[in-house]
Amino acid sequence: MFLELRMVSKVYGAFAAVQNFDLKVNKGELICLLGPSGCGKSTTIGMIGGFIPPTQGRIILDSRDITELPANMRPTSTVFQNYALFPHMSVIKNVVYGLKFAGISRKKARRKGKKYLDMVGLAELCDHKVTRLSGGEQQRVALIRSLVLEPKVLLLDEPLSNLDAKLRVGLRREIKQIQSRTGITMLYVTHDQEEALGLADRVVVMNEGRIEQTGPPEEIYKNPCNEFVTSFLGRANFFKNKNGVHEIFRPEELRLSTNEKGECRGKVIQRQFSGNIVTYFVRSESGELLEADMLSPHDPNYDIGDSVEIVFEKKTSPPNP
Amino acid sequence: MKYGETRFGASFFPKGAPFFPSGEKTLYFLILASVFIFILWPIAAVLFKSIFIQGQVDFSEYITLFRNKKYLLGNSVLVSSLATFLSVVLGTCVALYLTHCRGKGKKLIFGVLLLSIISPPFVSSLVYIMLFGRRGLITCKILGLHLNPYGWHGIVLMQTAGFTAIAALLILGILHRVDRNLEFSAHDLGASTLTILRSVTLPLALPGILVAGVVVFIRSLSDFGTPIIIGGKFTVLATQAYLNVVGLYNMPRAAAMCMLLLLPALVAFVIYRRILGRFDYVGTGAQLETGRKRIRLSRGIEIFLALVTWGYITFEILKYGTIFAGAFTRTWGFDFTPTLAHLKTLSGTKLESFFRSLRYAFMAGAIGAVLGVIIAYLLERKKIAGGKALDFISDLPYIIPGPFFGIGYILAFHHPPLMITGTAFIVVVNCIYRQLPISIKSGTAVLKQCDPNFEAAARDLGAGEKNVIKDIVTPLMRPAVLIAFINTFTMTMITIGAIIFLVSPETKVATVDMFGEIKRGRIGAASVLANLIIVTVLAVNLLFSWLYVRKGKKDRD
Repeated sequence: MFLELRMVSKVYGAFAAVQNFDLKVNKGELICLLGPSGCGKSTTIGMIGGFIPPTQGRIILDSRDITELPANMRPTSTVFQNYALFPHMSVIKNVVYGLKFAGISRKKARRKGKKYLDMVGLAELCDHKVTRLSGGEQQRVALIRSLVLEPKVLLLDEPLSNLDAKLRVGLRREIKQIQSRTGITMLYVTHDQEEALGLADRVVVMNEGRIEQTGPPEEIYKNPCNEFVTSFLGRANFFKNKNGVHEIFRPEELRLSTNEKGECRGKVIQRQFSGNIVTYFVRSESGELLEADMLSPHDPNYDIGDSVEIVFEKKTSPPNP
Repeated sequence: MKYGETRFGASFFPKGAPFFPSGEKTLYFLILASVFIFILWPIAAVLFKSIFIQGQVDFSEYITLFRNKKYLLGNSVLVSSLATFLSVVLGTCVALYLTHCRGKGKKLIFGVLLLSIISPPFVSSLVYIMLFGRRGLITCKILGLHLNPYGWHGIVLMQTAGFTAIAALLILGILHRVDRNLEFSAHDLGASTLTILRSVTLPLALPGILVAGVVVFIRSLSDFGTPIIIGGKFTVLATQAYLNVVGLYNMPRAAAMCMLLLLPALVAFVIYRRILGRFDYVGTGAQLETGRKRIRLSRGIEIFLALVTWGYITFEILKYGTIFAGAFTRTWGFDFTPTLAHLKTLSGTKLESFFRSLRYAFMAGAIGAVLGVIIAYLLERKKIAGGKALDFISDLPYIIPGPFFGIGYILAFHHPPLMITGTAFIVVVNCIYRQLPISIKSGTAVLKQCDPNFEAAARDLGAGEKNVIKDIVTPLMRPAVLIAFINTFTMTMITIGAIIFLVSPETKVATVDMFGEIKRGRIGAASVLANLIIVTVLAVNLLFSWLYVRKGKKDRD
């Protein structure tokens, strides 16, 4: 096991920010910590990075107990949410700042920094002020500043949350690319389920300081272990079937039809067009409000008030109690 | 969920770093000790002196004060209240004119305000004598009146003239922060401009207005010079405290008077801490607003504000003009022939005093700025034991009346273990600690804008505590040091309230010389000194502001 967190807790007075956090990470794995704000995910990587001393538990990295090691001695590096680029230094100075403490000569450091900057296409911006860069560029500089140290674990604290949606998708791809090229182990904190599902080898869903579920993206999306995980990972219909058992369906698992017999009937209440998909809100005969997604090209174009059959395409497993 | 909320999207440490090497602890202990010795101990010394007479607890000084001299406290509070009210009203008008009116000459107005807060005290009093005195240019020469100008009304007027600028700048600072969209939306909802000012703008600016009130009230309470010069038979507590020290050598009485003076000041201080707990004024520095326009006030209000503002500014310009003219007039009031003769008074000891002032001011500025910024860093970024106490004590000098702080130093440092009265050291230290609240505030203001993650990131990249301080904190704090330096330098150059009690013939400074000349009625010589101080302080201020602006520009490029 490369990185291991053993029953790690952080308690502030009466408030437990993180409780009994237990996780094993393989070398080269990309783990996403996913959860709502205040769930303890940033505290967790803060403890791994050495900024927050844990109240309890051990952190083992590469067979070495690093729990008591100060941040500057740890072979980890953090990319901060707001980048924390030193505003009084140029791009290259920021990038090579950490190399100084690794005992690398100034000339060598500069060469290495440039090489790394080239990886994200920013080598020409070397001597610019960091404050003059765009958000996306700053983000990449922060990433490179950490990567250049070749840390054993790279910690990313919501690194894309300050960027606009389009840029986010591009940078997400870039991070994934860098990860597969360098094979570096990453812990990535986010509250965006789409980001977590798209990036991670494994997702750790957190809530109120505890791990709710851990697993590969597809598995936790399809087999969420409880209602919290279900609704946090995406929209869901909670449906009571004829036998009175609760079942869960994702909107894309519902199909509306007029010429086939479905599970039940319903009335279209609202239609929302959002580009690639069209979402129908349907009130079933038993009074439940259901959402159904149709791909735009296959949109049957129902009107509000239309009566439709609701077909359940494929069932998501019910939550394990 | 308090923690979770503050944590999200913020930093790993809203406060406090994890490791606290012992070198820092030593430094912290030294700073804490110095704050106790140079702030708290002098205050305690005044208290002790007033209640221990010949080794016995004795409240007779207070009894005498309340029996026979009750009018003194009444006079002090009356004059200060009036001056505060007038300054704040005038200041609000000037600030509103600068933010909410269109019109030319705003830069001039702003410049005059800045000039006014860096002028030595008593300039107003000096001008008052020159213009409205028995042989005043306006009352006697132009209007041909023979009035007795001395009395409380003169004090109120001249304090108002002197304090309006600081009030205006403090209020201006908060008016800038009133969201203009709130005013627009009130307007949109149908409110008239007068209603907007009354119901939106001024209530939102109220904390700033109150702070201005507190600052002016305390300064007015501490001012003993103006009543001496133009009060005539009318006298106040601060003046009596001063006279009891320098004339009557009655220390217990002076101490008791100081304590009495502290009473209203403490009330004001409590209000001030309450307000400042929620806002930051000092340190950010007022600026002239540029950019998008605010709502258009109605014609009537605009004309009113313009009249008040320009009335005040005209008086201020007249004031500086008079001072300038006074330096080159043979005998003001009798013989208005131009002359360079007064410049000759600037020889020998006077020039020495002036250069001594400069030296002290540079020293106090440099040391005070560094000290203030270090304390700000400790308070803002480190979880330190006693942080609250340190914060409170170091804030006290802001409200301690000048004479109190001076007399406290005499009493505290007149005998062993720390016998430093009469030295240059005591003067410089007094100025450093007197301005410490502002030095700290300028540090905290800068730190609040700096992400604590800068330091966390440096540690993360491998920097030890030493490198974090050297590579990250020091460069980022440079603007704070600059502001704190300018403030302490300026105040040391122009202050008199506390240090007049501390200077010996060997450590005399320019303001004390100037005060002496005014008291002796040597208007020409006093004017020369006033001009010299004003020009020097102005030059240093401009130089350092230029450095500050240039640095800012370089950072943005």
